[in-house]
Amino acid sequence: MLASSYKDEDGHISVSGSGAAAAAGGGSLRNKKPENTAFKQQRLPAWQPILTAGTVLPAFFIIGLIFIPIGIGLYVTSNNIKEIEIDYTGVDMSSPCFNCSQNFSWNSTKSCTCSIPFQLDQPYESNVFMYYGLSNFYQNHRRYVKSRDDSQLNGNEESLRSPSKECEPYARHDNKPIAPCGAIANSMFNGTTKPVNWRRPVYELDSDPNNNGFINEDFIVWMRTAALPTFRKLYRIIQRRNNLLPTLPRGNYTLEVVYNYPVRSFEGRKRMILSTISWMGGKNPFLGIAYITVGSICFLLGIVLLIIHHKYGNRNNGADVSH
Amino acid sequence: MVKILYLLDCYPQLYCPGQLNMYFSKKAFVWCMLHSCYSSLVLFFIPWGAIQDTVRDDGRDIADYQSFASLAQTCLLVVVSAQLCLDTYYWTTVNHFFVWGSLAAYFAITFTMYSNGMFLIFTSIFPFIGTARNSLNQPNAWLTMFLTSLLCVLPVVALRFILMQIRPTINDRVRYKMQKDTLPAPPPRRPVRRVSTRRSGYAFSHSQGYGALVTSERFLFKRPIKSRLAFSVQPDGPLARNLPQVFRPIAEELHESQSSKS
Repeated sequence: MLASSYKDEDGHISVSGSGAAAAAGGGSLRNKKPENTAFKQQRLPAWQPILTAGTVLPAFFIIGLIFIPIGIGLYVTSNNIKEIEIDYTGVDMSSPCFNCSQNFSWNSTKSCTCSIPFQLDQPYESNVFMYYGLSNFYQNHRRYVKSRDDSQLNGNEESLRSPSKECEPYARHDNKPIAPCGAIANSMFNGTTKPVNWRRPVYELDSDPNNNGFINEDFIVWMRTAALPTFRKLYRIIQRRNNLLPTLPRGNYTLEVVYNYPVRSFEGRKRMILSTISWMGGKNPFLGIAYITVGSICFLLGIVLLIIHHKYGNRNNGADVSH
Repeated sequence: MVKILYLLDCYPQLYCPGQLNMYFSKKAFVWCMLHSCYSSLVLFFIPWGAIQDTVRDDGRDIADYQSFASLAQTCLLVVVSAQLCLDTYYWTTVNHFFVWGSLAAYFAITFTMYSNGMFLIFTSIFPFIGTARNSLNQPNAWLTMFLTSLLCVLPVVALRFILMQIRPTINDRVRYKMQKDTLPAPPPRRPVRRVSTRRSGYAFSHSQGYGALVTSERFLFKRPIKSRLAFSVQPDGPLARNLPQVFRPIAEELHESQSSKS
């Protein structure tokens, strides 16, 4: 038996058929149509942008014209930053630190020293920042990054007594907990329950009580893991003395190194960097060159698009939609 | 939505891209993959180049793992929002709210997650303390974001513009026509009383997949209701012969009856 029940355009449901009125309880069922508001009937006012030549072409030209000066500014600023890098790994036989790097052993009590002379061609004005840089040192290895206990570093007593499992195998030594635990602390640069490879415990890192223990600045800087295998970390700041004299005048200098940190076993390199700073940071011409490149490509692309639009652009206007 | 249905009525060629599988085919998928690969390379290597071997404007490290991650993530969010804006053709208030709102929500959540409070409460879960406020106050970071988003979006814009000029699709032409001239208002829908409407409502034509199913007789029969109905069926009509019914709109019937009379 067929029952014919249909929904007409207004959403009224009515049932037809001679006996159906009795069955359906008489008349039409309730109205299921949504209310007649703009939101529910999808009649909201809308902005419908399309890509026309009048918007795209000026946009490309304007972007090109903005990017090129920004790029030039960045490049010039970067070039004005003075920087010198001195590699003191001691790989070559002629390097003063060659003997120290060859004869390094963990058990020696006497530390090896070497001196490297270098020369500054230009005076360094304003604050000069001294960094130590390492190469081929993967501080971004996942197991290494996780090997720390932040609660312990925060001073949580429970964590000091029992370090977290992430620190293994640098969590305990001779059944005593290590503080600070983990591989990051253990490999601290020039670190000489103290971590296995440290020469002094953490509470003797500096005689200044404000720079001792976990708040030692060198320690904090080291614990912040670097993202790339070649990185530099801030070591010291040479403050500007007065406005008249440059902080580091031109001339000959000597770098005296206490060779504590072995890097040759993993073919790493270590270096010392002296650098001035600008509003965009250190010396990095990448952004300047990138902006200039993108700006010029944009401008050229704008010209190309203009030619294309001139030649083919009428296909959209003249053509009738119905073919 | 009403307008879209109206357009489909006016320009039935708009069904063609769906039937030709223009937007959901292997070729479209390969283009999508290439675009994604390009965007991923840009999103990693531009921040990498920008922070490599450099420092903040106060001399401290910018190339640490947390700042780099935060910078790359923010670049990604900006690029995704820009691409979304490019693909939204119909901007109502709701669209504006959700697009700008999602960017605002991202920044709010990031600053909350990297705040001091979260670190003190859940130390091991939120170790990125201070990263957001220290990396986003660098002009370097904002310049990188600007460069990355433009480098990801401009090729798409250029390609779409070139294709619109050289090979406009039916969608482009209709959209252009809609913007140029205002279309006549759709005719008012008089409440037409129909004998029986048995539309399937299947308005989207893609591949041939469901056509046979929809027009088969399975949908013409409903479950019989419990009480018996005395229903008059024409003995030799199409229903009795198990054939689908064919209907013509009333206006045509009136016209025919008038023409047959005159």
